[in-house]
Amino acid sequence: MESIILTINGQKITCPAGSSILDAAASNGIYIPTLCHHPQLKPYGACRICLVEDEKTGRLLASCVSPASPDMVVATDSPRVLKHRKNIVRLMMAEHPESCIVCNKGNRCELRRIAARLGVGEPDFYPMPNFKPFEQLNPFIIRDLSKCILCGKCIRADHELVVTGAIDYNHRGFSSRPATLNETPLEYSNCTFCGTCVSVCPTGALAAKNALYIGTPEKEHDSICGFCGVGCAISIGTAGGRIVEINPSRSDQSVNGATLCVRGHFANDFIHAPDRLIQPMIRVAGSNNRTDAGEEPENTHAPATWDAAMGEVVKKLSAVRRQYGPQSLAFIGSPRCTNEENYLFQKIARAIFGAANIVSGGYAMGQTLVSKIEEKSRGVRRTQPLADLESAEAILVVHADPDHLAPVAGYHIKRAAKNGVPLIVMDARKTDLAAMASTWLRPALDSDAGFRYADLVNCLAAHLLRENAADDKFIDKHTRGIEDFRFSLENIDLVQTAKQCGVRPEAIENAAKRISGRKVALVAGHDILHLTDGRDLLDALFNLAMLTGSIKAKGAGFYIPLGESNLMGCMDMGVAPDLLPGRLPLNDGHREAMGRIWNATLSPDSGLDLVGFVEAVESGAVKAAYIMGENIVRSLPQSERVAAALEKLDFLVVQDIFFNRTASLAHVILPGAVMAEKSGSFTNMEGRIQTFGPAVSPPGQARADWEILADLARRMGHPEQYGSVEKIRQEIRQVVPMYAALGSHRQSWIKNNDIDTPFSGNGEKFCFSSVRSGQKSRTDAAYPFTAFLAPPRFHLGSGTRTSRSERIRSFDGKPLSIQLSLSDCRSLGIENSHRIRVSSAGGAVEANVESSPALQSGQVMIPLGSDHNRAAVLPGLADPDENDAYGWTVCRVGIEKISTEEIKP
Amino acid sequence: MKEVAMMETVETIDVDYMELDDIIEKEFGLNKENLIMILQTIQRRYNYLPKPALAYLATKIGVPMSQIYGVATFYSTFSLEPRGRNIISICLGTACHVRGGARVNEKLEELLTITDGQTTEDKRFTLESVRCIGCCSLGPVLKINEDMHGRISSDEVKKVLDQYE
Repeated sequence: MESIILTINGQKITCPAGSSILDAAASNGIYIPTLCHHPQLKPYGACRICLVEDEKTGRLLASCVSPASPDMVVATDSPRVLKHRKNIVRLMMAEHPESCIVCNKGNRCELRRIAARLGVGEPDFYPMPNFKPFEQLNPFIIRDLSKCILCGKCIRADHELVVTGAIDYNHRGFSSRPATLNETPLEYSNCTFCGTCVSVCPTGALAAKNALYIGTPEKEHDSICGFCGVGCAISIGTAGGRIVEINPSRSDQSVNGATLCVRGHFANDFIHAPDRLIQPMIRVAGSNNRTDAGEEPENTHAPATWDAAMGEVVKKLSAVRRQYGPQSLAFIGSPRCTNEENYLFQKIARAIFGAANIVSGGYAMGQTLVSKIEEKSRGVRRTQPLADLESAEAILVVHADPDHLAPVAGYHIKRAAKNGVPLIVMDARKTDLAAMASTWLRPALDSDAGFRYADLVNCLAAHLLRENAADDKFIDKHTRGIEDFRFSLENIDLVQTAKQCGVRPEAIENAAKRISGRKVALVAGHDILHLTDGRDLLDALFNLAMLTGSIKAKGAGFYIPLGESNLMGCMDMGVAPDLLPGRLPLNDGHREAMGRIWNATLSPDSGLDLVGFVEAVESGAVKAAYIMGENIVRSLPQSERVAAALEKLDFLVVQDIFFNRTASLAHVILPGAVMAEKSGSFTNMEGRIQTFGPAVSPPGQARADWEILADLARRMGHPEQYGSVEKIRQEIRQVVPMYAALGSHRQSWIKNNDIDTPFSGNGEKFCFSSVRSGQKSRTDAAYPFTAFLAPPRFHLGSGTRTSRSERIRSFDGKPLSIQLSLSDCRSLGIENSHRIRVSSAGGAVEANVESSPALQSGQVMIPLGSDHNRAAVLPGLADPDENDAYGWTVCRVGIEKISTEEIKP
Repeated sequence: MKEVAMMETVETIDVDYMELDDIIEKEFGLNKENLIMILQTIQRRYNYLPKPALAYLATKIGVPMSQIYGVATFYSTFSLEPRGRNIISICLGTACHVRGGARVNEKLEELLTITDGQTTEDKRFTLESVRCIGCCSLGPVLKINEDMHGRISSDEVKKVLDQYE
């Protein structure tokens, strides 16, 4: 790039042509104060604090928006500049309330810092406090706009980074302020409470509400958010050994930049919830009473020492293994625990107990999909940086709602769409992305073909082939089976298929045009395998990826928004029934090699998945289980059935942070720690491995999960002593080549496979799958509606953590409320707030009704997540691989009105 | 979120969406850069900016509704409240004031039973006070739509108003 030379404060400086004076100065270590500038936002020039003087012309320029030009002579602190800068600050101070002592921004207030630096103490102007009150009931954000300096950072972050557009400047002059449409409270606007505005606000105008502590935290610790699979880098502020606030980390390498979501920003107060487990507990002999969540553990469980509890675990697990063999043991790991913990967990299960039944809760959250894509793509592209989406050629989103599941991944897609990347959304639901899409293909739910995405994807492929818009070079070189595929597509009547799906044929043609000749980023919902046509859909998407040459390209290929912080790592560490660490299939070769490293004989069988586990416990084949960090009674469908099964176990160990439904059924409860209380690493949905250390200590006698596991290994007589996380990392680096970089830096990437792939030129090829004719979905007159179950953005998974966040709870304390389309409400004679009964083959719940114009007829939206929500009884506990029924996130339901009285909180 | 509907005053105005399409697409090429001109055209058509029309406009040109609201509240020329068929601007600037502008204003308020910024119930008149119209020699001045009424006394106000339907 061309560079130019200019003079700043008498110093000759070189900078790239086109950079602003501010950037030129900053990159040469010259400080210019700013208030409205943020490196991730477009320059704006609102605050005028960054004034500098052009010494040749005598003009005062706002350096953030003035480009540096050759031979310019600039002074950043001439007497004139300082005089004006001070006056600007004085004017701001004259309008500012004198509340610095109790201001949440504390020592981090940028206005105060700049005033101090300029020596502005008293403004010496008549104070003109500008009080602009708001009604604000939400539990997340306080807006005290008397402290607002109108820098517009909140507005710009909202529009440019989060792409929500909830706020903008209202009015003019003295009355201007950042506010919502019609100046309603935030909770009535489309604000998602991501809190990005709070983090970027230079003063105390925007602050986190319900904070435990007002002011500057004593310490800030960089860490990684423990909620969804995006793995946002966060900065945890602590005071007095407690977490008092969370902000995005200042690292410029993070996936999230300056953004977070409502969970990451505000829901981490669950860490100090009063019902955290603080000591090991053992079930009182003879007590078989089941307790519901929220009930006191004292009745059924007695506190124990670590020694007694661990002794009991070792004794009972060994006894069950001796009596019934290793196949009677099951180990359930957690996509919320670290890589190190999951590695140790499966090693204990496989090498010490010789068990085969190793599975994790990630199985319900997309692990199967990730492993199937790994299998199909041979692992050539395990790393998929989200930032690449912004330079993608086209994006196709299929049945995914990242805005709710993994919001920061959603921001990347929305930013791309805002900047003109063609966005095609294929979703029966009107997601936020659908509203922004260039083309939204919405399959009708009452169409002849049933609700199938695979047919639509195949139609896109057929269009591309007919228009000769496929990537022939890629197809020739790296794939086989194109002829069969082409032949099977020729049988498809495009117009007819579109009509059967309830989509206009022109819309599909339009979508095909938008991806024609481009590489496509395929964003697939983590639950697509749970759909009726899940397997066909995956095949269809993979065919499309090959057809467009998108498999290994940057900003193309598969992106799976994942709902758990370490779902990827949990699988990579071998917590899967059919995979060894490093995503190695459990064949004889790999098993023996791994056995040699571990000096153990591993079980040759692949283990049970979660559904298989429940069935095996019911049949008595599994006698004892060790569950780490997974509330399976809440996270699996059919809670009652799962709970009843767990009660049948001879011995159940639960290692968790809360006395939840699953823990209440345990014989021994071991208190673990959350991410902020321990060291470890998470691997996010991009394949980025991020390490973190503790910010606070675990409560009471609770221990980091890896310490508990290391203790268990020691007590089981394992020769290897795991005294530190680093010791476990050493072993992972050796055993799992794709994690060779683990722990060397704060973040590293998992290694893509480059041996024996179609790109290594040894005859390997990706394979097209032929199109199967779509089977009709089963319809059942008793259950005419299609229900979509998902946690809203305030919750995650089963809501075990988010429901214990005070802020989330006070915002979301309403009884279960189910959305129906306007037309269904009319035909059923139901109005808002009526009470209905929703039933499925699995069970029934009562709920209030909310009619929504965003729904199509036949569609029902059911929120999951909050702790006492029983909606998980509706879907069936069926194996998605069997591909026979509507699965865990989409199911058929019937609806009847039972009362015009709503359920009261 | 559903409470929003209750918080806003329900607008009963019928917005002609076909006509709106013509304005947005044909006249202004579906371009968000033309936002202010589109708003002016909508305001000319309805005498104010009806919220349903703004909501439609927002999705159509891909600009957040909050931003359109920001623009509409920034410029005093835009009104989010329904306005009368005839806009009365009464000058209360210095020159008109010393010549009795305040008395004319009192008379207007008495006859129309509205105050500054309000609209009569029959939507016939909207009364707005201004600081100067730029013809001080004619003071006190009353401007109705584009017509100037200079050297007016409070007795003549009724006669002037009667000229407007």
